[in-house]
Amino acid sequence: MAGWKAIMYPINLLTVMFLPFFSLAQEKTESSKSRKLMPDAVIVQHAGSIGYFSGGIGYELFKNKKGNLDLLYGHLPRRKGGNLDIVTAKFAYRPFKIRINDVAVIYPANPGVFLSYTFGENLSFTFDKDQYSRGYYGWSEALRSHLSISNELELSGKNLFNSKRNRSLVFYSEFNANDLYLVSWATNRDGLSFFKIFKLGVGAKVKF
Amino acid sequence: MPLIFTFLFAGCDKIEYSPNQKLDRDGPRNVNRVNLEKLAQTNGDDTVRFILSGDTQRGYGEARDFVKKANTLPGIDFAVIAGDISDFGLLQEMEWVAEIYNRLKIPYIGVIGNHDLTANGKDVFQKVFGELDYSFVYGGIKFICINTNSREFNFNGTVPDIQWLNKEMKSQSGINKMVVISHVSPLSADFDKKLEQPFVEALASTGNCLASLHAHDHTSGYFTPYETGPPFIVTSAILKREFTVITIANGRLESDNVSY
Repeated sequence: MAGWKAIMYPINLLTVMFLPFFSLAQEKTESSKSRKLMPDAVIVQHAGSIGYFSGGIGYELFKNKKGNLDLLYGHLPRRKGGNLDIVTAKFAYRPFKIRINDVAVIYPANPGVFLSYTFGENLSFTFDKDQYSRGYYGWSEALRSHLSISNELELSGKNLFNSKRNRSLVFYSEFNANDLYLVSWATNRDGLSFFKIFKLGVGAKVKF
Repeated sequence: MPLIFTFLFAGCDKIEYSPNQKLDRDGPRNVNRVNLEKLAQTNGDDTVRFILSGDTQRGYGEARDFVKKANTLPGIDFAVIAGDISDFGLLQEMEWVAEIYNRLKIPYIGVIGNHDLTANGKDVFQKVFGELDYSFVYGGIKFICINTNSREFNFNGTVPDIQWLNKEMKSQSGINKMVVISHVSPLSADFDKKLEQPFVEALASTGNCLASLHAHDHTSGYFTPYETGPPFIVTSAILKREFTVITIANGRLESDNVSY
């Protein structure tokens, strides 16, 4: 039973996550409302505390398009330290922009926050109420919140590939610290360096 | 591009797949086996003296100061972290503590605590430290380290493993005395009540068990609540900047609490 659950969870999650994508792709014809729901990017990421590999969709937020909302599903296989399945929702803001030339733009420091939920055999949202008195352990094993800072290199497809459509390719690296590492640092600022609690991931996006 | 590559190469050890990952590429491994091999090579004397510490949890500063203090103490053979090495059962936490304890001049070993069994902690402990139940002999004394975190197994009757303990307590040639080390003492509500009596009887069975050593309570204590068997000695916590020095000489065991 547990085995089936482990298989069905990610499949269900994938379906839920990509359902709007697929259905909207079919009727993308015209309504501006559905166009709004169409993702602006597809994403793949390596590491970054949300799976060995993760993939998903991204939206640009606000009129100035400086906000990002990314929804990702990640997997960590057993041989790499799993077996874990992770769903993540990221929000980031890109306040700075450095234009290199016609092709390349760098976003050097994009602060953000994200939430991740991990499905794994030893992880639960709350500790069992029958097994532990209230407040015995005061955290969730499965739900993590993270602080992040990323940088992006955006290559314009229009100029790079002579493409007619306004596509672009983005490479990024992202440092994050989760709530448990942050609380470890906050209560031990002399014993644990702030730099040590940040972990790295790298990724790529195709924007359209 | 250069920017991204700089980050990439600067941070190879910063790559993390998940805070709940059970292993990584370059952290400390098999701490207990490596340190027991070191201990076996040291020349002991008539006196066996070791440090009983526990509950490092998130006390990285306190752990670092402990190592400094321990390195100034003379005649110590080895150190024990008697559980709750981590707070959240995470690989990164156990590695951070192991990296700090690695700076001890003496060998050290870890024993599993209840916090170390949350999330994927059991697998992580097995990779970073080693077995949950294990024993070793030093200076003619057998040290039996056992998982007594019954609540983490929902009091299912398997923890502590009484059968294994009874087997380990059997008298062996070359062994004069025994010491049992575990995180949760049988006096705690987190110890399986059904197994309290069998545990105490196992300790009393040989007549040469000097003490049962514990942590978990964050206050030091010396208890002799049962008619037979050895005393139960509880160390305070590294978090509280306290540990205990255990000295065994001429078949007698003494404990001294140290604040730093």
